[in-house]
Amino acid sequence: MKEQLPEVLESVFREIPHLVFEQQGPRRLRVNLRADALPALLELLKGRAGYLHLSAISCVDWPALDEFELVYHLWSYEVKTLVSAHIFISKNPGHYVSVYDIYTPAAFFERDIHEMFGVYFEGAPSMEPFILTEWEGPPPMLKSFSTTKYVEETFQWENYSPEWLKEIEAKGGGIVNSDT
Amino acid sequence: MTTNATVPLKYDSNTDIACRTIDKEERSLLRKVIDRIADRCRSRSLFILHYCTGCGAIELPPTITSRFDAERLGIQPMVTPRQADILLITGYLSVKTLKRVILSYEQMQGPKYVIGMGSCTINGGMYWNSYATIKRLEEYMPVDIYIAGCMPRPEAIQQGFLQLMDHIDNGRANVWEDYYRHYDFYLGNQQHLFGSNWHTPTDVIAEAQHYQFFSENTVGEHTALLAKFASEYVTRPIPSKILQREEMVE
Repeated sequence: MKEQLPEVLESVFREIPHLVFEQQGPRRLRVNLRADALPALLELLKGRAGYLHLSAISCVDWPALDEFELVYHLWSYEVKTLVSAHIFISKNPGHYVSVYDIYTPAAFFERDIHEMFGVYFEGAPSMEPFILTEWEGPPPMLKSFSTTKYVEETFQWENYSPEWLKEIEAKGGGIVNSDT
Repeated sequence: MTTNATVPLKYDSNTDIACRTIDKEERSLLRKVIDRIADRCRSRSLFILHYCTGCGAIELPPTITSRFDAERLGIQPMVTPRQADILLITGYLSVKTLKRVILSYEQMQGPKYVIGMGSCTINGGMYWNSYATIKRLEEYMPVDIYIAGCMPRPEAIQQGFLQLMDHIDNGRANVWEDYYRHYDFYLGNQQHLFGSNWHTPTDVIAEAQHYQFFSENTVGEHTALLAKFASEYVTRPIPSKILQREEMVE
């Protein structure tokens, strides 16, 4: 399981202050660093170690910490190791800098995170709604947004009681309720 | 209330094209026979417009192609809504796609039939607590047949087709008329999701008058909003002054 860190990655990580990395598997590296050092890390990885592929940017909403966690997944076809860079940004105001100038595909990921979590990326080419073009509510992936409550207010799905179900209920059957 | 000037409001149904009075008894008998023949023919030749946004789309290729071969029932896919008889909703619909489904449905010519396939169209299915998907299809358009399952197998889909054919053959598949008779109800549910300025290019009320399905439930408080927001959607005719100026330039 424990493998030697490739030299090129070691030289990159040495240049970033306050960087902590953890080997999570033979080809997986988890990197924790300060938010303002992330663009520098991406530049170094891309320039020195051939990290040309930004696979995804994921976002985690931590309600207890009042912070968003942004995870940048990077892949190199030369080093063949997945680097996941974790940073934390404050929810207020929830702004971060776009990495569109380093990785062009970041435009889509950042636009998606903006509409799902409300994180604003400065310098991104477009922060327009991407998939939820007809959605006017709060960002739906936030932990503070209750989808069940929204559904109960908007849709009438509970009122569904067709004739065939009434017949079954008259015989003592029907939908099993786990609460009672 | 919006009315289309091209449809005469006072259409006397007791006269034929040449304005001769029709013998009612003779007509009703003739109509019954013709309707019976037409229904039988119609049920043997159905074109489906499949709206494949849900996972049920994966069950359609085996249903339609040689494995189960729906064409031996006279059912085959059609690419345009205007030439289709059946609108097949294969699975969940998000609020965004429901708009497109309603636009397609209103373009279809009567008689038209809607099949809701999978649990998602019945009560939301596994997406019951999703903010993005609708729960009951029948609130937004009249549905002839639901095929329950997650997902229904091709055998179940064919069973549904056969049942629909049976309904058409016996003249019982008349739910599409409800869209005209209770348009206010369906439009109200649509406006609840899409906002009060929701508008489709089809003039459903004029169509209801044309099909003679106009009833007291066709118009109401929700259809009154159509006229209120019509100016946002309807392209205004070009003023004659502008046209005249263009001619002068030429």
